[in-house]
Amino acid sequence: MKKHFKGKVWKFGDCIDSGNIKGVMAGVDPEFHTKVQPGDVIVAGINFGMGSSAEDAPRSLRNAGIAAVLAESISNIYLRTLINLGLPAIECVGVSTFVDEGQEIEVDLESGTVRNLKDGTSRTFPPFSDQAIVILEKGGLIPYLKSSFASPSAGHDKNLPLWRSE
Amino acid sequence: MGMTITEKICARAAGKDRVRPGDMIDAEVDKLYIKDLRFSKAEDPKGLYGVFKEVLKDMGITKAWDPEKVIINFDEQPARSTRRLEGQERAKEFSNEHGATLYEGYQGGIGHNVMVEKGHVRPGEFIVGADSHSCTYGALSCFATGIGFTETVGVLATGRIWLKVPPAIYVELAGRRPPWIWGKDIVLRIMAEMGANGAVNKTLEYGGSAVADVSVESRLSMCNMAVESLALNAVFPPDERAIEYVKQVGNTAFTPVASDADAEYESRLRFDLTDMEPFVAAPGVPSNGQPVHEVIGTKINQAFIGTCSNSRIEDLRVAAKILKGKTVHPGVRMIVTPASYGAYFQAREEGLLQIFEKSKVLLTASECGICTRPSLATGEVCISSGNRNFPGRMGNRDARIFLGSPATVAASALAGEIVDPREFLPA
Repeated sequence: MKKHFKGKVWKFGDCIDSGNIKGVMAGVDPEFHTKVQPGDVIVAGINFGMGSSAEDAPRSLRNAGIAAVLAESISNIYLRTLINLGLPAIECVGVSTFVDEGQEIEVDLESGTVRNLKDGTSRTFPPFSDQAIVILEKGGLIPYLKSSFASPSAGHDKNLPLWRSE
Repeated sequence: MGMTITEKICARAAGKDRVRPGDMIDAEVDKLYIKDLRFSKAEDPKGLYGVFKEVLKDMGITKAWDPEKVIINFDEQPARSTRRLEGQERAKEFSNEHGATLYEGYQGGIGHNVMVEKGHVRPGEFIVGADSHSCTYGALSCFATGIGFTETVGVLATGRIWLKVPPAIYVELAGRRPPWIWGKDIVLRIMAEMGANGAVNKTLEYGGSAVADVSVESRLSMCNMAVESLALNAVFPPDERAIEYVKQVGNTAFTPVASDADAEYESRLRFDLTDMEPFVAAPGVPSNGQPVHEVIGTKINQAFIGTCSNSRIEDLRVAAKILKGKTVHPGVRMIVTPASYGAYFQAREEGLLQIFEKSKVLLTASECGICTRPSLATGEVCISSGNRNFPGRMGNRDARIFLGSPATVAASALAGEIVDPREFLPA
Protein backbone atom coordinates (compact mmCIF):
# COMPACT_ATOMS: atom_id res chain seq x y z
CA MET A 1 0.00 0.00 0.00
CA LYS A 2 1.31 3.39 -0.97
CA LYS A 3 0.27 6.64 0.68
CA HIS A 4 0.30 8.30 -2.68
CA PHE A 5 -0.89 6.57 -5.82
CA LYS A 6 -2.59 6.90 -9.20
CA GLY A 7 -5.32 4.71 -10.61
CA LYS A 8 -7.83 4.33 -13.41
CA VAL A 9 -11.42 5.01 -12.36
CA TRP A 10 -14.39 2.63 -12.51
CA LYS A 11 -17.62 4.34 -11.53
CA PHE A 12 -20.61 2.93 -9.67
CA GLY A 13 -23.84 4.47 -8.42
CA ASP A 14 -25.55 5.07 -5.08
CA CYS A 15 -26.59 2.58 -2.38
CA ILE A 16 -24.70 -0.49 -3.57
CA ASP A 17 -25.05 -3.06 -0.78
CA SER A 18 -22.37 -5.58 0.08
CA GLY A 19 -24.45 -8.45 -1.34
CA ASN A 20 -24.11 -6.86 -4.77
CA ILE A 21 -20.40 -6.05 -4.26
CA LYS A 22 -19.65 -9.70 -3.52
CA GLY A 23 -17.64 -11.40 -6.29
CA VAL A 24 -16.01 -8.14 -7.48
CA MET A 25 -19.20 -6.10 -7.99
CA ALA A 26 -20.89 -9.13 -9.60
CA GLY A 27 -24.39 -8.04 -8.56
CA VAL A 28 -24.02 -4.78 -10.52
CA ASP A 29 -21.78 -5.92 -13.39
CA PRO A 30 -21.14 -9.66 -13.68
CA GLU A 31 -18.32 -8.98 -16.19
CA PHE A 32 -16.52 -6.41 -14.05
CA HIS A 33 -13.95 -8.90 -12.77
CA THR A 34 -12.75 -9.45 -16.36
CA LYS A 35 -12.35 -5.71 -17.03
CA VAL A 36 -10.74 -4.41 -13.84
CA GLN A 37 -6.94 -4.31 -13.59
CA PRO A 38 -4.78 -4.31 -10.45
CA GLY A 39 -4.21 -0.71 -9.38
CA ASP A 40 -7.59 0.53 -10.62
CA VAL A 41 -9.83 2.46 -8.23
CA ILE A 42 -13.57 2.39 -7.58
CA VAL A 43 -15.49 5.66 -7.36
CA ALA A 44 -19.07 5.40 -6.08
CA GLY A 45 -21.94 7.49 -4.79
CA ILE A 46 -23.57 7.47 -1.38
CA ASN A 47 -23.88 4.52 1.03
CA PHE A 48 -21.29 2.26 -0.60
CA GLY A 49 -21.11 -1.13 1.14
CA MET A 50 -24.36 -0.85 3.05
CA GLY A 51 -26.01 -3.98 4.39
CA SER A 52 -24.39 -7.22 5.48
CA SER A 53 -21.06 -7.19 7.30
CA ALA A 54 -19.93 -10.35 5.48
CA GLU A 55 -16.31 -9.84 4.55
CA ASP A 56 -16.37 -11.78 1.29
CA ALA A 57 -17.51 -8.58 -0.46
CA PRO A 58 -14.59 -6.30 0.55
CA ARG A 59 -12.14 -9.19 0.25
CA SER A 60 -13.18 -9.75 -3.36
CA LEU A 61 -12.23 -6.13 -4.15
CA ARG A 62 -8.89 -6.49 -2.39
CA ASN A 63 -8.17 -9.78 -4.15
CA ALA A 64 -8.95 -8.20 -7.51
CA GLY A 65 -6.16 -5.71 -6.85
CA ILE A 66 -8.37 -2.61 -6.43
CA ALA A 67 -6.08 0.12 -5.07
CA ALA A 68 -8.71 2.19 -3.29
CA VAL A 69 -12.44 2.79 -2.90
CA LEU A 70 -13.62 6.40 -2.97
CA ALA A 71 -17.27 7.24 -2.38
CA GLU A 72 -19.52 10.07 -1.27
CA SER A 73 -20.20 7.98 1.84
CA ILE A 74 -19.29 4.47 2.96
CA SER A 75 -20.98 2.25 5.56
CA ASN A 76 -18.99 2.24 8.79
CA ILE A 77 -18.42 -1.54 8.92
CA TYR A 78 -17.37 -1.52 5.30
CA LEU A 79 -15.01 1.43 5.76
CA ARG A 80 -13.24 -0.05 8.78
CA THR A 81 -13.11 -3.49 7.17
CA LEU A 82 -11.50 -2.22 3.97
CA ILE A 83 -8.81 -0.43 6.00
CA ASN A 84 -8.40 -3.50 8.21
CA LEU A 85 -7.85 -5.49 5.01
CA GLY A 86 -5.18 -3.03 3.90
CA LEU A 87 -7.27 -1.22 1.30
CA PRO A 88 -7.82 2.56 1.62
CA ALA A 89 -11.52 3.42 1.89
CA ILE A 90 -12.08 7.13 1.43
CA GLU A 91 -15.21 9.16 2.04
CA CYS A 92 -14.91 12.24 -0.15
CA VAL A 93 -17.75 14.64 -0.86
CA GLY A 94 -17.97 15.47 -4.56
CA VAL A 95 -15.82 12.57 -5.72
CA SER A 96 -18.61 10.90 -7.68
CA THR A 97 -19.17 13.91 -9.94
CA PHE A 98 -15.69 15.33 -10.58
CA VAL A 99 -14.28 12.41 -12.54
CA ASP A 100 -15.53 10.21 -15.40
CA GLU A 101 -15.08 6.50 -15.84
CA GLY A 102 -11.76 5.61 -17.48
CA GLN A 103 -10.02 8.80 -16.36
CA GLU A 104 -7.05 8.63 -14.02
CA ILE A 105 -6.96 10.09 -10.52
CA GLU A 106 -4.13 10.69 -8.10
CA VAL A 107 -4.73 10.11 -4.38
CA ASP A 108 -2.67 11.37 -1.44
CA LEU A 109 -3.78 9.88 1.89
CA GLU A 110 -1.53 12.11 4.03
CA SER A 111 -2.71 15.41 2.64
CA GLY A 112 -6.24 14.16 1.97
CA THR A 113 -6.50 15.12 -1.69
CA VAL A 114 -7.70 13.43 -4.82
CA ARG A 115 -6.86 14.98 -8.19
CA ASN A 116 -8.35 14.36 -11.62
CA LEU A 117 -5.29 13.98 -13.88
CA LYS A 118 -7.32 14.78 -17.00
CA ASP A 119 -8.44 18.27 -16.01
CA GLY A 120 -6.39 18.97 -12.87
CA THR A 121 -9.39 19.58 -10.60
CA SER A 122 -9.27 18.16 -7.10
CA ARG A 123 -11.37 17.27 -4.06
CA THR A 124 -10.33 16.94 -0.42
CA PHE A 125 -11.09 14.48 2.39
CA PRO A 126 -9.98 14.23 6.05
CA PRO A 127 -6.33 13.08 5.91
CA PHE A 128 -5.59 9.58 7.20
CA SER A 129 -4.01 9.47 10.66
CA ASP A 130 -0.56 7.96 11.18
CA GLN A 131 -2.06 4.87 12.77
CA ALA A 132 -4.43 4.24 9.88
CA ILE A 133 -1.49 4.55 7.53
CA VAL A 134 0.55 2.09 9.64
CA ILE A 135 -2.27 -0.48 9.47
CA LEU A 136 -2.57 0.05 5.71
CA GLU A 137 1.20 -0.20 5.24
CA LYS A 138 1.34 -3.47 7.16
CA GLY A 139 -1.31 -4.85 4.80
CA GLY A 140 -4.17 -4.71 7.27
CA LEU A 141 -5.10 -5.25 10.90
CA ILE A 142 -4.04 -8.90 11.18
CA PRO A 143 -0.50 -8.47 9.82
CA TYR A 144 -0.32 -5.32 11.97
CA LEU A 145 -1.35 -7.23 15.11
CA LYS A 146 1.07 -10.04 14.37
CA SER A 147 4.04 -7.79 13.78
CA SER A 148 3.41 -5.23 16.49
CA PHE A 149 2.69 -7.74 19.23
CA ALA A 150 5.44 -10.14 18.20
CA SER A 151 8.25 -7.63 18.20
CA PRO A 152 9.10 -6.26 21.65
CA SER A 153 11.01 -3.42 20.00
CA ALA A 154 7.71 -2.13 18.68
CA GLY A 155 6.93 -1.44 22.31
CA HIS A 156 3.49 -3.02 22.21
CA ASP A 157 1.98 -5.03 24.96
CA LYS A 158 -1.51 -6.38 25.41
CA ASN A 159 -2.84 -3.12 26.77
CA LEU A 160 -1.37 -0.76 24.27
CA PRO A 161 -3.85 0.98 22.00
CA LEU A 162 -4.24 -0.15 18.45
CA TRP A 163 -5.05 3.36 17.54
CA ARG A 164 -3.77 6.52 19.13
CA SER A 165 -5.74 9.70 18.89
CA GLU A 166 -3.42 12.50 19.94
CA MET B 1 -20.54 21.28 27.21
CA GLY B 2 -22.03 17.92 28.17
CA MET B 3 -21.86 14.57 26.44
CA THR B 4 -24.37 12.22 24.82
CA ILE B 5 -24.91 8.62 26.06
CA THR B 6 -22.81 7.37 23.16
CA GLU B 7 -19.96 9.80 23.87
CA LYS B 8 -19.97 8.89 27.57
CA ILE B 9 -19.83 5.16 26.88
CA CYS B 10 -17.13 5.63 24.23
CA ALA B 11 -15.08 7.81 26.59
CA ARG B 12 -15.31 5.27 29.39
CA ALA B 13 -14.35 2.42 27.04
CA ALA B 14 -11.40 4.42 25.72
CA GLY B 15 -10.22 5.36 29.23
CA LYS B 16 -10.77 9.06 28.63
CA ASP B 17 -12.59 11.78 30.53
CA ARG B 18 -14.33 12.97 27.42
CA VAL B 19 -14.48 12.38 23.70
CA ARG B 20 -15.84 14.46 20.83
CA PRO B 21 -17.45 13.40 17.55
CA GLY B 22 -14.72 12.59 15.05
CA ASP B 23 -12.21 11.43 17.68
CA MET B 24 -10.56 8.17 16.72
CA ILE B 25 -10.75 5.96 19.79
CA ASP B 26 -9.26 2.67 20.83
CA ALA B 27 -12.01 1.21 22.97
CA GLU B 28 -12.11 -1.68 25.39
CA VAL B 29 -15.01 -3.96 24.56
CA ASP B 30 -17.43 -5.15 27.27
CA LYS B 31 -19.14 -7.84 25.19
CA LEU B 32 -18.50 -9.53 21.85
CA TYR B 33 -21.29 -11.38 20.03
CA ILE B 34 -20.32 -13.83 17.26
CA LYS B 35 -22.72 -15.70 14.96
CA ASP B 36 -22.00 -19.25 13.83
CA LEU B 37 -21.46 -18.30 10.20
CA ARG B 38 -18.42 -16.24 11.17
CA PHE B 39 -16.67 -19.47 12.21
CA SER B 40 -17.26 -21.01 8.77
CA LYS B 41 -14.95 -20.75 5.79
CA ALA B 42 -17.28 -18.32 4.02
CA GLU B 43 -15.02 -15.32 4.52
CA ASP B 44 -11.58 -16.84 5.00
CA PRO B 45 -10.38 -20.33 4.08
CA LYS B 46 -8.86 -20.72 7.53
CA GLY B 47 -12.07 -19.69 9.28
CA LEU B 48 -12.30 -17.35 12.27
CA TYR B 49 -10.79 -19.81 14.70
CA GLY B 50 -7.97 -20.68 12.30
CA VAL B 51 -6.99 -17.04 11.76
CA PHE B 52 -7.35 -16.33 15.49
CA LYS B 53 -5.08 -19.24 16.44
CA GLU B 54 -2.51 -18.05 13.95
CA VAL B 55 -2.59 -14.51 15.35
CA LEU B 56 -2.24 -15.78 18.94
CA LYS B 57 0.70 -17.96 17.95
CA ASP B 58 2.47 -15.07 16.27
CA MET B 59 1.71 -12.86 19.27
CA GLY B 60 3.15 -15.50 21.59
CA ILE B 61 -0.02 -15.92 23.72
CA THR B 62 -2.36 -18.87 24.11
CA LYS B 63 -5.64 -17.49 25.44
CA ALA B 64 -8.27 -15.17 24.04
CA TRP B 65 -8.64 -11.80 25.67
CA ASP B 66 -11.58 -12.53 27.90
CA PRO B 67 -13.73 -15.47 26.82
CA GLU B 68 -16.34 -14.72 29.47
CA LYS B 69 -17.27 -11.68 27.43
CA VAL B 70 -17.72 -13.70 24.23
CA ILE B 71 -21.20 -14.99 23.33
CA ILE B 72 -21.79 -17.26 20.35
CA ASN B 73 -25.14 -18.27 18.80
CA PHE B 74 -26.19 -20.68 16.06
CA ASP B 75 -28.37 -18.62 13.73
CA GLU B 76 -29.37 -21.53 11.49
CA GLN B 77 -30.64 -24.77 13.04
CA PRO B 78 -30.37 -27.34 11.63
CA ALA B 79 -27.43 -26.23 9.49
CA ARG B 80 -28.39 -26.47 5.84
CA SER B 81 -24.92 -26.47 4.34
CA THR B 82 -21.74 -28.30 5.19
CA ARG B 83 -20.08 -24.88 5.34
CA ARG B 84 -22.44 -23.72 8.10
CA LEU B 85 -22.17 -27.05 9.91
CA GLU B 86 -18.40 -26.87 9.80
CA GLY B 87 -18.60 -23.34 11.24
CA GLN B 88 -20.80 -24.58 14.08
CA GLU B 89 -18.30 -27.34 14.85
CA ARG B 90 -15.42 -24.82 14.98
CA ALA B 91 -17.53 -22.53 17.16
CA LYS B 92 -18.10 -25.37 19.64
CA GLU B 93 -14.42 -26.19 19.59
CA PHE B 94 -13.56 -22.54 20.26
CA SER B 95 -16.12 -22.32 23.05
CA ASN B 96 -14.83 -25.51 24.70
CA GLU B 97 -11.21 -24.49 24.48
CA HIS B 98 -11.63 -20.86 25.50
CA GLY B 99 -14.72 -20.97 27.70
CA ALA B 100 -17.01 -18.69 25.68
CA THR B 101 -20.80 -18.91 26.15
CA LEU B 102 -22.56 -20.72 23.31
CA TYR B 103 -26.29 -20.94 22.60
CA GLU B 104 -27.70 -23.71 20.44
CA GLY B 105 -30.76 -25.91 20.29
CA TYR B 106 -33.75 -24.74 22.31
CA GLN B 107 -31.55 -22.27 24.22
CA GLY B 108 -31.04 -20.32 21.02
CA GLY B 109 -32.90 -18.74 18.13
CA ILE B 110 -31.82 -15.57 16.34
CA GLY B 111 -28.63 -14.40 18.04
CA HIS B 112 -29.58 -10.77 18.63
CA ASN B 113 -32.77 -11.76 20.44
CA VAL B 114 -30.95 -14.42 22.43
CA MET B 115 -28.36 -11.82 23.53
CA VAL B 116 -31.12 -9.60 24.90
CA GLU B 117 -33.32 -12.33 26.44
CA LYS B 118 -30.42 -14.10 28.13
CA GLY B 119 -29.35 -10.90 29.84
CA HIS B 120 -26.09 -10.25 27.98
CA VAL B 121 -27.08 -6.68 27.09
CA ARG B 122 -26.85 -4.12 29.89
CA PRO B 123 -27.22 -0.34 29.97
CA GLY B 124 -23.94 1.56 29.75
CA GLU B 125 -21.98 -1.25 28.09
CA PHE B 126 -19.78 -1.03 24.99
CA ILE B 127 -20.87 -3.99 22.85
CA VAL B 128 -19.73 -5.11 19.41
CA GLY B 129 -21.14 -7.98 17.41
CA ALA B 130 -19.92 -9.92 14.40
CA ASP B 131 -23.14 -9.22 12.52
CA SER B 132 -24.37 -5.93 11.11
CA HIS B 133 -27.59 -5.94 13.16
CA SER B 134 -25.75 -5.90 16.49
CA CYS B 135 -26.91 -2.27 16.69
CA THR B 136 -30.20 -3.76 17.98
CA TYR B 137 -28.92 -3.76 21.58
CA GLY B 138 -28.93 0.05 21.79
CA ALA B 139 -32.60 -0.27 22.77
CA LEU B 140 -31.30 -1.11 26.25
CA SER B 141 -29.20 2.07 26.51
CA CYS B 142 -25.82 0.65 25.60
CA PHE B 143 -23.43 1.45 22.75
CA ALA B 144 -23.71 -1.37 20.23
CA THR B 145 -22.53 -1.75 16.66
CA GLY B 146 -21.74 -4.43 14.10
CA ILE B 147 -18.19 -5.38 13.10
CA GLY B 148 -16.53 -7.44 10.38
CA PHE B 149 -14.57 -10.69 10.37
CA THR B 150 -11.12 -9.13 10.64
CA GLU B 151 -12.25 -6.83 13.44
CA THR B 152 -13.66 -9.83 15.29
CA VAL B 153 -10.25 -11.49 15.23
CA GLY B 154 -8.76 -8.23 16.52
CA VAL B 155 -11.25 -8.03 19.41
CA LEU B 156 -10.72 -11.69 20.32
CA ALA B 157 -6.98 -11.14 20.43
CA THR B 158 -6.81 -7.77 22.16
CA GLY B 159 -10.26 -6.96 23.58
CA ARG B 160 -10.08 -3.65 21.76
CA ILE B 161 -11.38 -2.00 18.63
CA TRP B 162 -10.71 1.25 16.80
CA LEU B 163 -13.53 3.45 15.60
CA LYS B 164 -14.50 7.06 15.15
CA VAL B 165 -16.81 8.66 17.76
CA PRO B 166 -20.00 9.45 15.83
CA PRO B 167 -21.87 12.77 15.82
CA ALA B 168 -25.42 12.33 17.13
CA ILE B 169 -28.82 13.12 15.68
CA TYR B 170 -31.44 13.65 18.38
CA VAL B 171 -34.74 12.09 17.34
CA GLU B 172 -37.59 13.40 19.44
CA LEU B 173 -40.74 11.28 19.61
CA ALA B 174 -43.64 13.53 20.58
CA GLY B 175 -47.40 13.28 20.96
CA ARG B 176 -49.26 10.06 21.71
CA ARG B 177 -48.53 6.72 20.05
CA PRO B 178 -51.76 5.31 18.59
CA PRO B 179 -52.36 1.62 19.46
CA TRP B 180 -51.89 0.55 15.82
CA ILE B 181 -48.38 1.98 15.58
CA TRP B 182 -45.29 -0.07 16.44
CA GLY B 183 -41.55 0.50 16.30
CA LYS B 184 -41.29 -0.61 12.69
CA ASP B 185 -43.84 2.01 11.53
CA ILE B 186 -42.04 4.74 13.45
CA VAL B 187 -38.57 3.86 12.25
CA LEU B 188 -39.63 3.50 8.60
CA ARG B 189 -41.15 6.98 8.80
CA ILE B 190 -37.98 8.41 10.38
CA MET B 191 -35.75 6.74 7.79
CA ALA B 192 -37.89 8.04 4.92
CA GLU B 193 -37.67 11.55 6.35
CA MET B 194 -33.87 11.36 6.78
CA GLY B 195 -33.32 9.90 3.30
CA ALA B 196 -30.94 7.15 2.27
CA ASN B 197 -27.89 9.18 3.24
CA GLY B 198 -29.28 10.90 6.32
CA ALA B 199 -27.50 9.19 9.17
CA VAL B 200 -24.33 7.69 7.67
CA ASN B 201 -21.89 6.78 10.46
CA LYS B 202 -23.84 8.80 13.02
CA THR B 203 -25.71 8.00 16.22
CA LEU B 204 -29.50 8.06 16.30
CA GLU B 205 -30.45 9.00 19.85
CA TYR B 206 -34.14 8.64 20.68
CA GLY B 207 -35.85 10.79 23.27
CA GLY B 208 -38.98 12.81 23.93
CA SER B 209 -42.25 12.42 25.78
CA ALA B 210 -43.60 9.59 23.59
CA VAL B 211 -40.61 7.29 24.26
CA ALA B 212 -42.14 6.08 27.53
CA ASP B 213 -45.00 4.61 25.51
CA VAL B 214 -42.73 2.68 23.09
CA SER B 215 -42.26 -0.93 24.25
CA VAL B 216 -38.82 -2.48 24.60
CA GLU B 217 -39.68 -4.84 21.71
CA SER B 218 -40.50 -1.85 19.52
CA ARG B 219 -37.28 -0.11 20.62
CA LEU B 220 -35.28 -3.21 19.67
CA SER B 221 -36.92 -3.15 16.25
CA MET B 222 -36.10 0.55 15.81
CA CYS B 223 -32.47 0.14 16.86
CA ASN B 224 -32.20 -2.95 14.66
CA MET B 225 -32.95 -0.71 11.66
CA ALA B 226 -30.17 1.75 12.57
CA VAL B 227 -27.72 -0.01 10.28
CA GLU B 228 -30.26 0.32 7.46
CA SER B 229 -30.00 4.08 7.73
CA LEU B 230 -26.22 3.49 7.85
CA ALA B 231 -26.01 4.86 11.38
CA LEU B 232 -23.13 3.54 13.49
CA ASN B 233 -25.51 2.97 16.40
CA ALA B 234 -28.87 3.92 17.84
CA VAL B 235 -29.73 4.33 21.49
CA PHE B 236 -32.73 4.80 23.77
CA PRO B 237 -32.52 6.48 27.19
CA PRO B 238 -32.27 4.24 30.27
CA ASP B 239 -35.80 4.99 31.44
CA GLU B 240 -37.95 2.94 33.81
CA ARG B 241 -39.19 0.66 31.05
CA ALA B 242 -35.66 -0.22 29.89
CA ILE B 243 -34.32 -0.77 33.42
CA GLU B 244 -37.34 -2.90 34.35
CA TYR B 245 -36.74 -5.10 31.28
CA VAL B 246 -33.03 -5.51 31.98
CA LYS B 247 -33.76 -6.55 35.58
CA GLN B 248 -36.48 -8.93 34.45
CA VAL B 249 -33.99 -10.88 32.30
CA GLY B 250 -31.78 -11.38 35.31
CA ASN B 251 -29.37 -8.46 35.44
CA THR B 252 -28.48 -6.77 38.68
CA ALA B 253 -25.06 -5.19 38.17
CA PHE B 254 -25.03 -2.38 35.63
CA THR B 255 -24.47 1.34 35.52
CA PRO B 256 -26.97 3.22 33.35
CA VAL B 257 -25.64 6.25 31.51
CA ALA B 258 -27.83 9.13 30.34
CA SER B 259 -27.12 12.07 28.06
CA ASP B 260 -26.36 15.40 29.72
CA ALA B 261 -28.97 18.14 29.39
CA ASP B 262 -26.40 20.25 27.53
CA ALA B 263 -25.13 17.44 25.29
CA GLU B 264 -24.37 18.60 21.77
CA TYR B 265 -26.28 17.17 18.80
CA GLU B 266 -25.41 17.66 15.17
CA SER B 267 -29.09 18.01 14.35
CA ARG B 268 -32.53 17.45 15.85
CA LEU B 269 -35.58 15.84 14.31
CA ARG B 270 -39.07 15.76 15.74
CA PHE B 271 -41.81 13.26 14.98
CA ASP B 272 -45.32 13.60 16.35
CA LEU B 273 -46.81 10.12 16.64
CA THR B 274 -50.38 11.33 17.24
CA ASP B 275 -52.74 9.97 14.55
CA MET B 276 -49.76 8.54 12.65
CA GLU B 277 -50.55 6.26 9.72
CA PRO B 278 -48.87 2.81 9.47
CA PHE B 279 -45.74 2.90 7.30
CA VAL B 280 -44.43 0.52 4.64
CA ALA B 281 -41.07 0.59 2.79
CA ALA B 282 -41.28 0.01 -0.96
CA PRO B 283 -38.76 -2.36 -2.60
CA GLY B 284 -35.14 -1.25 -3.07
CA VAL B 285 -33.86 0.27 0.15
CA PRO B 286 -35.43 0.39 3.63
CA SER B 287 -35.52 4.19 3.46
CA ASN B 288 -38.24 3.93 0.75
CA GLY B 289 -40.87 4.35 3.45
CA GLN B 290 -44.32 5.74 2.72
CA PRO B 291 -47.70 5.85 4.45
CA VAL B 292 -49.46 2.56 3.82
CA HIS B 293 -52.26 4.14 1.72
CA GLU B 294 -49.69 4.78 -1.05
CA VAL B 295 -49.23 1.05 -1.68
CA ILE B 296 -52.61 -0.35 -0.70
CA GLY B 297 -53.84 -2.97 -3.17
CA THR B 298 -50.39 -4.27 -4.16
CA LYS B 299 -50.90 -8.03 -4.66
CA ILE B 300 -48.61 -10.24 -2.59
CA ASN B 301 -47.41 -13.84 -2.89
CA GLN B 302 -45.65 -14.16 0.44
CA ALA B 303 -46.06 -12.66 3.91
CA PHE B 304 -43.21 -13.14 6.36
CA ILE B 305 -43.00 -12.42 10.07
CA GLY B 306 -39.49 -13.19 11.19
CA THR B 307 -35.90 -11.86 11.50
CA CYS B 308 -34.00 -10.04 14.25
CA SER B 309 -36.08 -6.99 13.33
CA ASN B 310 -39.64 -8.09 14.17
CA SER B 311 -40.60 -11.57 15.37
CA ARG B 312 -40.60 -11.09 19.14
CA ILE B 313 -43.47 -11.97 21.44
CA GLU B 314 -45.12 -8.55 20.96
CA ASP B 315 -45.07 -9.19 17.19
CA LEU B 316 -46.45 -12.72 17.49
CA ARG B 317 -49.23 -11.45 19.76
CA VAL B 318 -50.43 -8.78 17.35
CA ALA B 319 -50.23 -11.16 14.38
CA ALA B 320 -52.30 -13.75 16.25
CA LYS B 321 -54.82 -11.08 17.24
CA ILE B 322 -55.36 -10.19 13.58
CA LEU B 323 -55.34 -13.79 12.31
CA LYS B 324 -57.55 -15.32 14.99
CA GLY B 325 -60.56 -17.11 13.48
CA LYS B 326 -59.54 -16.20 9.92
CA THR B 327 -57.58 -17.94 7.17
CA VAL B 328 -54.65 -16.64 5.15
CA HIS B 329 -55.60 -15.75 1.56
CA PRO B 330 -55.25 -18.81 -0.69
CA GLY B 331 -52.79 -16.99 -2.97
CA VAL B 332 -50.40 -16.19 -0.13
CA ARG B 333 -47.73 -18.20 1.67
CA MET B 334 -47.54 -16.83 5.18
CA ILE B 335 -44.47 -17.81 7.16
CA VAL B 336 -43.86 -17.08 10.84
CA THR B 337 -40.38 -17.59 12.28
CA PRO B 338 -40.21 -16.67 15.98
CA ALA B 339 -37.30 -14.55 17.21
CA SER B 340 -36.03 -17.13 19.66
CA TYR B 341 -37.13 -20.35 21.32
CA GLY B 342 -37.93 -18.15 24.31
CA ALA B 343 -40.51 -16.31 22.18
CA TYR B 344 -41.60 -19.59 20.55
CA PHE B 345 -42.39 -21.32 23.85
CA GLN B 346 -44.01 -18.21 25.26
CA ALA B 347 -46.26 -18.04 22.18
CA ARG B 348 -47.14 -21.71 22.65
CA GLU B 349 -48.08 -21.07 26.25
CA GLU B 350 -50.32 -18.17 25.24
CA GLY B 351 -52.05 -20.29 22.58
CA LEU B 352 -50.72 -18.20 19.70
CA LEU B 353 -49.22 -21.13 17.80
CA GLN B 354 -52.61 -22.83 17.62
CA ILE B 355 -54.07 -19.66 16.13
CA PHE B 356 -51.32 -19.64 13.46
CA GLU B 357 -51.99 -23.29 12.73
CA LYS B 358 -55.73 -22.76 12.28
CA SER B 359 -55.10 -19.73 10.06
CA LYS B 360 -52.90 -21.86 7.78
CA VAL B 361 -49.70 -20.05 8.65
CA LEU B 362 -46.51 -22.01 8.14
CA LEU B 363 -44.66 -21.91 11.45
CA THR B 364 -40.91 -22.59 11.33
CA ALA B 365 -38.12 -23.21 13.78
CA SER B 366 -36.56 -20.11 15.33
CA GLU B 367 -33.64 -18.96 13.19
CA CYS B 368 -32.68 -16.31 10.62
CA GLY B 369 -34.63 -18.37 8.09
CA ILE B 370 -35.76 -16.89 4.80
CA CYS B 371 -34.47 -13.39 5.60
CA THR B 372 -31.38 -14.39 3.61
CA ARG B 373 -32.37 -17.69 2.04
CA PRO B 374 -34.05 -17.96 -1.36
CA SER B 375 -37.82 -18.09 -1.00
CA LEU B 376 -39.21 -15.93 -3.80
CA ALA B 377 -39.83 -16.81 -7.45
CA THR B 378 -39.27 -14.36 -10.31
CA GLY B 379 -41.86 -11.60 -10.29
CA GLU B 380 -43.18 -12.46 -6.83
CA VAL B 381 -43.96 -9.90 -4.16
CA CYS B 382 -43.33 -10.34 -0.44
CA ILE B 383 -44.33 -8.23 2.51
CA SER B 384 -41.88 -8.82 5.33
CA SER B 385 -41.41 -7.68 8.91
CA GLY B 386 -37.66 -7.92 8.28
CA ASN B 387 -35.10 -5.20 7.82
CA ARG B 388 -33.81 -5.49 4.24
CA ASN B 389 -35.59 -5.13 0.92
CA PHE B 390 -32.53 -4.87 -1.34
CA PRO B 391 -32.79 -6.41 -4.82
CA GLY B 392 -32.01 -10.12 -4.43
CA ARG B 393 -32.19 -10.09 -0.63
CA MET B 394 -34.49 -13.12 -0.47
CA GLY B 395 -32.67 -14.91 -3.26
CA ASN B 396 -34.17 -13.42 -6.42
CA ARG B 397 -33.29 -10.03 -7.93
CA ASP B 398 -36.52 -10.10 -9.91
CA ALA B 399 -38.75 -10.37 -6.86
CA ARG B 400 -39.96 -7.38 -4.83
CA ILE B 401 -39.88 -6.99 -1.05
CA PHE B 402 -41.98 -4.53 0.96
CA LEU B 403 -41.26 -3.96 4.65
CA GLY B 404 -43.91 -3.33 7.28
CA SER B 405 -44.93 -3.99 10.85
CA PRO B 406 -46.12 -7.48 11.84
CA ALA B 407 -49.67 -6.07 11.95
CA THR B 408 -49.42 -4.90 8.34
CA VAL B 409 -47.90 -8.23 7.29
CA ALA B 410 -50.60 -10.30 9.01
CA ALA B 411 -53.48 -8.17 7.71
CA SER B 412 -52.04 -8.21 4.17
CA ALA B 413 -51.72 -12.01 4.34
CA LEU B 414 -55.47 -12.26 4.98
CA ALA B 415 -56.33 -9.90 2.14
CA GLY B 416 -53.85 -11.19 -0.45
CA GLU B 417 -52.70 -7.62 -1.00
CA ILE B 418 -51.16 -4.82 1.02
CA VAL B 419 -53.79 -3.32 3.31
CA ASP B 420 -54.08 -0.84 6.13
CA PRO B 421 -53.91 -3.03 9.27
CA ARG B 422 -56.21 -0.69 11.19
CA GLU B 423 -59.21 -2.21 9.43
CA PHE B 424 -58.18 -5.68 10.61
CA LEU B 425 -57.37 -4.94 14.24
CA PRO B 426 -60.10 -6.11 16.59
CA ALA B 427 -61.29 -3.31 18.86
